[in-house]
Amino acid sequence: HAALSRRYVLCEVVSEDPRCRQCIEDRALGLAVRDAIARVHGDYGLACCSISFTGAGETGGPGGAGSLRVRSPVRVCPAVKYLNAYTGTVLLRCRKDSYRLLCSALPFVRYLESRAQRYPCFLNTLHVGGTIRTCQKFLIQYNRTQLLRLLQNCKNEEERQCIQKSLLSCSLTEEQSQSGDEEEDDGTE
Amino acid sequence: RRRGGRAARARGPAGRGMAAAAFERRVLRRAAEHHYLRVRLELPDGGVRPNAAQFKQLVVTALRELHGEVGAALPVDVLTYEEKTLSAILRVISSGLVKLWSALTLLGFYQNRRCAFRVLQTSPFLLALSGNSRELVLD
Repeated sequence: HAALSRRYVLCEVVSEDPRCRQCIEDRALGLAVRDAIARVHGDYGLACCSISFTGAGETGGPGGAGSLRVRSPVRVCPAVKYLNAYTGTVLLRCRKDSYRLLCSALPFVRYLESRAQRYPCFLNTLHVGGTIRTCQKFLIQYNRTQLLRLLQNCKNEEERQCIQKSLLSCSLTEEQSQSGDEEEDDGTE
Repeated sequence: RRRGGRAARARGPAGRGMAAAAFERRVLRRAAEHHYLRVRLELPDGGVRPNAAQFKQLVVTALRELHGEVGAALPVDVLTYEEKTLSAILRVISSGLVKLWSALTLLGFYQNRRCAFRVLQTSPFLLALSGNSRELVLD
């Protein structure tokens, strides 16, 4: 019995409108990606990829009469594994057999919609990995290079000082729960 | 994926003292570029019959529903179409045969009327569609 292989696609939401940041949430994004897959690959593509997308697809109707229905807090979109609204980073999950359908449909996401507001944007695919851990490693590396680039692109000395100060001040604190920012663990650079 | 053909060669038997016979057998798998389908559209509820352009539109619509824009962009050609019998010969690129056939199978409605596609013959060679042994009548 073979294990169920997954592929994790790491992408970044790029938008010219700064208000787009607030509608980067897992439901809006999940719907947008599903919509794009349905348009590009039709019913077949939607069915291939949405086994993971809506895990609550088989709720089995209204259940038996008189049976207790235990409603655990079901996430609307289990395929969006990680979201960072500040950097616009999104981690999507799909089956290994259908990750090509997902990846080829991502350029067709042109806007994000939430609360009846539509913001144009596009998704940049950064990395496709087999596990969340490899994607996390890549993301840490990528964020480091992005910070360096931001530092180089500073227009004036003030911004430069600001960034350097915030870089030097962040540190990795061991908490009981999961520690906050996984990406900024190079606080002493 | 095998592109083109894969040739299998067999050498002729070499008798004692004789030079090896020179024959070579080549087997080409999946070398055909196109596949041809003879289909018939059934409209059990009667009504206006589609003309050739509408027929092609129907095929492309079926592909778009099942396989999306990628399916609708598949190079499908209607080589012949007879409006009286609603039968046609379609040509599709070999890699798209499965998509086309599945889309035709799952098409249920044409202009809100029930319809069904029957695939009568299929072959990588157009010549093979000229005779159909299923329609032979034996006395």
